[in-house]
Amino acid sequence: MKFVSQVVAALSHLPGVVVAMVVGATDGLIVETSGIKGGGAAEEADPRKHTAALAAYLYSKATRAADAARLGTPAFMRLEAELGHICIVGARDVVLVTIVTPDANLGRVRLEMMNAARGSL
Amino acid sequence: MTDPTVAEAWVADPLRRLMDDARLLSGVLLYPSGRAVGQFGFSNAADVMSICALTSAINASARELGRQLDGKPFYEMHHAGAERQVFMARCVAGGQELLFVGVFDRESSVGVVEIYFAEFQKAIEKLRPQSQGSGVGPTGDFEGELNRSLDALFGPLGKR
Repeated sequence: MKFVSQVVAALSHLPGVVVAMVVGATDGLIVETSGIKGGGAAEEADPRKHTAALAAYLYSKATRAADAARLGTPAFMRLEAELGHICIVGARDVVLVTIVTPDANLGRVRLEMMNAARGSL
Repeated sequence: MTDPTVAEAWVADPLRRLMDDARLLSGVLLYPSGRAVGQFGFSNAADVMSICALTSAINASARELGRQLDGKPFYEMHHAGAERQVFMARCVAGGQELLFVGVFDRESSVGVVEIYFAEFQKAIEKLRPQSQGSGVGPTGDFEGELNRSLDALFGPLGKR
């Protein structure tokens, strides 16, 4: 479990990463998460639980789509939205999920996430 | 997937949304007394009857277990089977407590079910159940309440 915490800590310190999480691939539940960088208003709902569950769900569907297209396992997923990105990388029984700002260095985020996933999470 | 059948119309829309969003295969919403309010995924009244009786009993046991182990009742339960999973939780509508039990498979996940159930809880919070005859606790007529709700969902016995 220490390794999981280290991965989350390392990813959350990357510039532009708002939240880094390790999420169960099949249940969509958070295994480990960073705090939300920048906080947000106290009355705002915590987006982590929703993002974790839906990102894991999305990754499982993308895996099936990639399989149907005979492309193998997805290596890296990035969902570009109006106010930022959600990045997802699968690592056996878990998925790494980050929420990043639009101006983040996506190449670095991708590299670090894939390295963490290869490090047999 | 068929639309939910309901004994009380107020719950039809939120139940349908929960079924669709959480990708549930089947589910039953009931009062803690065992009286069914709505269901989807079942075509047989006997199945719903068993589920209502079991859910009501599991809820009572889980509450007591929670009180004894943790000092407060357990309100949510998840069981992951090999193929299918069961999610059970409580919600409140117009001050009246209700129980929900839902079944899902690999097309969904407990994380997804939890978030959409939370939305369902919010959606029904301010709605008012049509019949609050049972009050806060059960009336003691468990079998009668169960049968009346099954009649409402599947039609009177003999016509089911």
